[in-house]
Amino acid sequence: MLHLLKIEWLKVKNYRTFWVLSILFMVSIFGINYIMFNIQNTAHINAGTGPVQKPEQAAAADTLIKKVVGSPFDFPEVWQSITYVSGFLLFIPGLLIITSITNEYTYKTHRQNIIDGLSRTQFIFVKMLLTVIIALAATLFVFLTAVGFGLSGGSSFSFDKIEYVGYFFIQALSYTAFALLTGIVLKRSGVAIGLFFLYSLVLENMLSGLLNHYFNPVGSYLPLETTDRLIRFPFFRRVVEQLVKAPPPVSSFLLMSAIYLTLYFFLCKRKLETADL
Amino acid sequence: MTPVLALNTISKNYGPIQALDNVSFTVPKGCVFGILGPNGSGKTTLLGIAMDVLRASAGNLRWFDQPSSAELRKQIGTLLETPNFYHYLTAVQNLRITAEIKQRGLDDIDTVLKKVNLYERRNSKFTTYSLGMKQRLAIAAALLGNPDVLVLDEPTNGLDPVGIAEIRNLIKQLAAEGKTIIMASHLLDEVEKVCTHVAILKKGKLIAAGAVDEILVNEDVVEIGAANIQALQQAVNSMNGYSSVKQDGQVLLLSYPVGKANLEQINQHCFNQGTVLNHLHLKKKSLETKFFELTNN
Repeated sequence: MLHLLKIEWLKVKNYRTFWVLSILFMVSIFGINYIMFNIQNTAHINAGTGPVQKPEQAAAADTLIKKVVGSPFDFPEVWQSITYVSGFLLFIPGLLIITSITNEYTYKTHRQNIIDGLSRTQFIFVKMLLTVIIALAATLFVFLTAVGFGLSGGSSFSFDKIEYVGYFFIQALSYTAFALLTGIVLKRSGVAIGLFFLYSLVLENMLSGLLNHYFNPVGSYLPLETTDRLIRFPFFRRVVEQLVKAPPPVSSFLLMSAIYLTLYFFLCKRKLETADL
Repeated sequence: MTPVLALNTISKNYGPIQALDNVSFTVPKGCVFGILGPNGSGKTTLLGIAMDVLRASAGNLRWFDQPSSAELRKQIGTLLETPNFYHYLTAVQNLRITAEIKQRGLDDIDTVLKKVNLYERRNSKFTTYSLGMKQRLAIAAALLGNPDVLVLDEPTNGLDPVGIAEIRNLIKQLAAEGKTIIMASHLLDEVEKVCTHVAILKKGKLIAAGAVDEILVNEDVVEIGAANIQALQQAVNSMNGYSSVKQDGQVLLLSYPVGKANLEQINQHCFNQGTVLNHLHLKKKSLETKFFELTNN
């Protein structure tokens, strides 16, 4: 396995696009969370310094805001908030995987690798491994971001609700594995990237909304939507809880995620092992 | 001696198109085996199947008398169809990947780059290479790890005349070292110059396979004609020395091994048999015509 990873490393090491995208992903994770952090901070500060003059009134307003907004960037809520917000950027790891696999098709190096002595199974195995590694790396970075925001807010560190980091990993893996399948089926980088973006950012949300309108909750179980729903909207919790009906339990999404992931990997493996390359 | 490669009734369909039809032949050890055929005759498809990047619709093959496997492919240096490399990497970086896959030849990189005259440009990115340089790099990659068997698909594609001569010499030199070389080409001249064995493909069918001097025999052809073609036929039947006879319109074509046709004797013989020739002509038959004859029936 190390031998296979070394080959993959040699391919990626000097591929500038890969590193530019990776850095962009990390900067965006920090940036988008920082924006959310500022928004909710402003809400708190405004509550304290607004037109309200008397201290007891200010305190009451702050409590009210806290009740509505919660403290999403304090432990333990920070795990859920950061993983939720970061989930919107998971198309970038997907993009990394798509470029990695479609490059092989463009350069026909998938053929050359096999001609030179990789088995078809080894070739696809290391790409699947790459989806796991990239999902792990993204999760690690999000974990560190959460720790940073949690501590900088002054709350004390807690592993309570750490399961959200696990959910984020499953969500990340779902994006990278889905991207791998997209790349393998479509082969051409432009088409693959276009359709992946269109589906993950637009089509699935439309489809999901439409399905949920008529056949609730079927739309929640679309491929990427399933893992998106592992982590629930963390802000204005009280309000949301009042307004929205209780969603299906997390366990049902976990089960569906497992089914989808198995399906992605199975299809990728079968395609590579049986097709003309 | 176990053959290097044995193909057994290999067929391949692309939908309704039959790219290969029941092709069987064996490649003996130590030969330079040419797979000859016009464009689209199935040469690359055949090699693609041998290297497991294409799936045969029917039939099977064995490398070194074993079922095809990734481990065996590591011991074969292959250039298939086009040079396939990572465009954003340099020659050395690309060859490192090849060496890592093959698990051999890492120390060989400089040597093979020198062999194909790319050493000066070893740290240039693949994108900056000309077609000929890309082809040279592909040959360098095939030579990595000093494999005993080389599979080269149109190895002189895109090379200038000097490059072509260099590669031919390289192939001859490798053959002299006892390596087995399987080479696909549409250039008869190339096969004739370097190959010891040949298989001829036409529209996916194997037309002939064997030693070059058996398959691509050079012949002299004598055209003879007479007013009564039946009588001429009979006169020819009682004559010997020619290898085959064929009627072509109002003349008979007699094939002779090179230099063995004696026009005087033929004339004399027919006259003795009571047939007077009205046409007698010696044609040197080139390999080119032979190739056209083999592939254009």
